[in-house]
Parts: sequence; structure tokens; C-alpha cells
Amino acid sequence: MAEIRTVRVMESLLKANDYVAQRLRQAWDQGQTFVVNLISAPGAGKTTLLEATLPVLLSRYRVGVLEGDIETERDAERIRALGVEAVQVTTGGTCHLEAPMVEQAWRLMDNEIDFLFIENVGNLVCPASFDLGEHLRVVLLSVPEGDDKPAKYPKAFRTAQALVITKADLLETMDFSVERARREALEIQPELQVFVVSAKTGVGIPAWTQFLEQRRRQTFPDA
Amino acid sequence: MHELSIMQALVDAVEAIVREHGARRVVRLVVEVGEMSNVIPMYLRNAFLAFREVKPFLAQAELEIRFVPLQLRCESCGFEFQPQGYRYRCVECGATQVRVVQGEELLLRDVELEVESDDPSWPVELPSHGAPRFCE
Ligand SMILES: Nc1nc2c(ncn2[C@@H]2O[C@H](COP(=O)(O)OP(=O)(O)O)[C@@H](O)[C@H]2O)c(=O)[nH]1
Ligand SMILES: [Mg+2]
Ligand SMILES: [Zn+2]
Repeated sequence: MAEIRTVRVMESLLKANDYVAQRLRQAWDQGQTFVVNLISAPGAGKTTLLEATLPVLLSRYRVGVLEGDIETERDAERIRALGVEAVQVTTGGTCHLEAPMVEQAWRLMDNEIDFLFIENVGNLVCPASFDLGEHLRVVLLSVPEGDDKPAKYPKAFRTAQALVITKADLLETMDFSVERARREALEIQPELQVFVVSAKTGVGIPAWTQFLEQRRRQTFPDA
Repeated sequence: MHELSIMQALVDAVEAIVREHGARRVVRLVVEVGEMSNVIPMYLRNAFLAFREVKPFLAQAELEIRFVPLQLRCESCGFEFQPQGYRYRCVECGATQVRVVQGEELLLRDVELEVESDDPSWPVELPSHGAPRFCE
């Protein structure tokens, strides 16, 4: 006798990812490693922002980088050229990082670090769904992409705590309103901290790195 | 196309439920997809069809996707509304302190199973032919 049985589940489809993310966050809290997840469209300037950020932090902090680029080791090599440990995360072809991939890569790294930067796969949609256990999620928007991106990719902006508008040196030549981008992003996430930077000229880098240090101190007050 | 990863997680969860109940097959799945869940229902359905090909316990299963519009409640004046263009701001009083009532969820809601209560040969072993590849 066959019968039909309905099972009420009511569980998040991201439960398995979020479970591992939580485990990572606990490990990072314990070791006082402040973790930053960088999300943007391809080419928005994640690696270049890291190249401008790491030298500032290196004098006072131990720093590591996880590189989520699918194609090549090129970004990891750019980071290693600064004398920073960079581990390539193998995504198996996916368009985003998931917590278990990060956990695997973290096992291969020196865990005695103060800052861990995760460069997510270049994509403004998919990475936004996956908690990696990070303390700070940063979305990057580059000037050439246009100021109307936030409403087109709301989840990335909604789930971030900071927005970095990159390639500010191109503001003079391009039709990009910082005010409009800021306003649109704040409509989606009123708590966003907004930075306008150029990795090329160094404009805005000090405010950005001070923010990172301040967030780390707030997260680990007795560090 | 992270919908394939999400469907993989759904299929894993359903497979565990099928085993737990010793069910022969899944009749229907009901998922709730919020407007702000970052998931496109059509892509989720396509991913489901790909898994149905390789998972015998899903061979005849139906997928019902319930779309949940984003609904916010103003913490300041209590007004409840469905925003336009993902603006998390009260349309009545302009306050930015708003609570999400619904629309950010991504849930497996129900699994309908066919079970045979008096067949001692159950639960059956569930064969599998692997999983579809992830996004290109
Ligand atoms: N003009 C200008 N170009 C930049 C800046 N930052 C990055 N770029 C360029 O943008 C391109 C992509 O940068 P990259 O950091 O590799 O982007 P990613 O894919 O997000 O890691 C490279 O050609 C960089 O030289 C900047 O501040 N100003
Ligand atoms: Mg890069
Ligand atoms: Zn209000």
C-alpha cells in the first residue's frame, strides 16, 4: 500500500554552506584573524586594490590572501610578488566561492595571521549568496562600470558592509556620478560605508586601510 | 549560475529525507524563493531538470517554486509595503530602519514522498549516476 507523505522541512537551501561558514568564523574568531571577502564584477580592481592595501598593512600586521580566480594563478602571483602568502582556491569551475572551498584552502595556509583577504570570483551575482564566514564583506564598483550598478545587482550591495568605488582617477573622463552610486547603494543597504579610491594614484587608500584596522579592532577589542 | 550549486544542496537534503523515510520516490518538492534571494526561478528549474535526469528518486518529481515578493515593515511608523527597485526605505515616512517581513528567503518548504508502510524490503538503496557539472 503506497501512501503519500508530506514532510514539512522549512530549511534554508544554503544551510550546508552556512554551517561550514559558521565553523570558519569560529576558527577565525579564536585566532583573531580578521577576514575580508571582496566581491565585484571581473576587472573592477580587486587584485589591484589588494596591491595598494597590503603594503600599508604589512608593517604592522601578518596578512594572507585567498585567491578565487577560476582561470589562472596570475592574481596569486601578483600578491606573492609583495611577499604575502597567497593560496589559490580551487572552485572546480563554479562562478563563486563556497565556504567548504575556503575551508580547504585555509588548511593549506599559515593560520597565524591578523588579516585574511579573500578575492572572490569576478561576478556580482553568485558570490553574494554564499557566506564564507567573513567579518567584512566589501563590494567593489569601478568607475568604468557605471553608477547604475547597485540596483541591478542588489544582493551584492545588500549583503555588504562596505562599498569601494574604484578607479577614481577615471572620474574626470567618465560619466560617473559618485553621488548617484552612493545614493543608490545606500537605498539598498543604509549601513554601507562608502570609500572612493584610486589604486593608481593612491587617493582614498589611507581612509580605506584605516577603516580595515578600525573594524579589526572593533571585532577583536583585546587584540 | 549558482542555481546549480543551490540545487545540488537541495537534492542532497531531499535525498537524506528520502532515506530517512524509506521512501521510494519523491512526488513533489515545494521551495520558496524570495524576490531578494538572488535566485532566478527559471534557472533553478533548469537545474532541477538536470538533476532529475540523474537521480532516479526524482524521476517523476514535480518542483513547485513559490515566489515570495519582498515585503518590508517600517520600524518607525509601522507601515508595511512592497518596495520598488529594492529600496529599503519607508515609502510613508522615509525612515531607513526597516525590517524584512519576507522576500529574502530561499527555503525547502515541503517534500512529498511516496512511502509504502507495509513493505519489508524498504527502505531501498538509491542508485545515483553522479551530478551535473557546475556553471561554465
Ligand atoms: N585607471 C585605473 N585602473 C585600474 C585601477 N585599479 C585597477 N585598474 C585596472 O583595471 C584592470 C583590472 O584590475 P584587477 O585588479 O586585475 O581587477 P580584478 O579582476 O577585480 O582583480 C587592470 O588593468 C588594472 O590595471 C585604478 O585605480 N585606476
Ligand atoms: Mg583579480
Ligand atoms: Zn515609516
